[in-house]
Amino acid sequence: MAPSDYQLLDRYAAGDDSAFEELVTRHQKTVYDLAHRMLENHADAADMAQKTFVQVFLHHRSFKRESSFRTWVYQICLNQCRNALRDRARLAHHEDVEGLALAAPHDTFTQVAGSELKDRLGQAIRTLPARQREALVLRVYHDHAFADIGVIMSCSEGTAKANYHHAVDKLRRVLMAGEG
Amino acid sequence: MTCNEIKELTVPYLELDLEPSRIRDITTHLEGCAGCRAEMEAVRQVLVRVRGMAVPDPGDQFWREFPHRVRRELERLQSTATTLGGPSRYQWFWGRAVTAKWTLSLAASLLLVVGAWSLKGLLDRGTGPPEQSVVQGPNAADLPSLGDGVWEAFWEDDPDMVLVEMATQLDRQTMDRLFADI
Repeated sequence: MAPSDYQLLDRYAAGDDSAFEELVTRHQKTVYDLAHRMLENHADAADMAQKTFVQVFLHHRSFKRESSFRTWVYQICLNQCRNALRDRARLAHHEDVEGLALAAPHDTFTQVAGSELKDRLGQAIRTLPARQREALVLRVYHDHAFADIGVIMSCSEGTAKANYHHAVDKLRRVLMAGEG
Repeated sequence: MTCNEIKELTVPYLELDLEPSRIRDITTHLEGCAGCRAEMEAVRQVLVRVRGMAVPDPGDQFWREFPHRVRRELERLQSTATTLGGPSRYQWFWGRAVTAKWTLSLAASLLLVVGAWSLKGLLDRGTGPPEQSVVQGPNAADLPSLGDGVWEAFWEDDPDMVLVEMATQLDRQTMDRLFADI
């Protein structure tokens, strides 16, 4: 029987290096997937997944084990993604101000290329408010229970549900508008 | 159930995130309502399509190397922390002091002490002896009192001082008279 995350963490704390690799290997794909869905490119997602695990092992002693290890790792990853998105938004704003003339052709191209349903859906997900997007990603792609999503997003279960429902409703309207 | 109620519960219904009795009620409603069935199908399609959006797999090599990547970064950070050395006693003390909750208590206590000090000063000023006049020159004792008739001798030396002394004398006399009346 495979050891639990808690057991692996105990072994790592006791100096067992193999536990480190086992923990990373066990969770690397889900962490990378979450980061990719939030940041939308491989380089940033890989960087974010790495940062997440580094934080996990640097601060593993402060983990109070009130939630599952997986939930805690998700929390760290989501926080890092939020920071990265904030930085990106700040940078984008700065570049927009500096290069307004260059922005228009790119936007036009995106609109034309976005005529495909998948692109439209992807675009709709991108434009969801951050909290709704987080709830959607955690629920749809990572099958978390709403109680867990609440813990990861630092909100109540009800708020997590509401965010998710709003997200789905918005996407439904986008798709219906496109098909109609 | 009404169509509006069904609309509100579409997502929880599809997620089976409802009481069994509610799910039965909605199912019954859907059997007889084409509009709600269409709405339900639209939302189901959204979930299916969203779920179908996959993240490209970066490949086996990436996954094989990833734990080593994390380890290298972790070791780099840990060695940087070691090279820089642990916090000195001074840093440790202030690190604790700054983060500790009692920093706020300390600040509040300091404010109280300063406040009490200021209040004491104000009270002392109100009840203490009257302040001495600034116009008490060192020569005042040598000057004649008003009406001596000899003040003219000093007039030539220092007329200003004589005038000041006269004013002081006058003032004293007035005050004495006033107090005598009381």
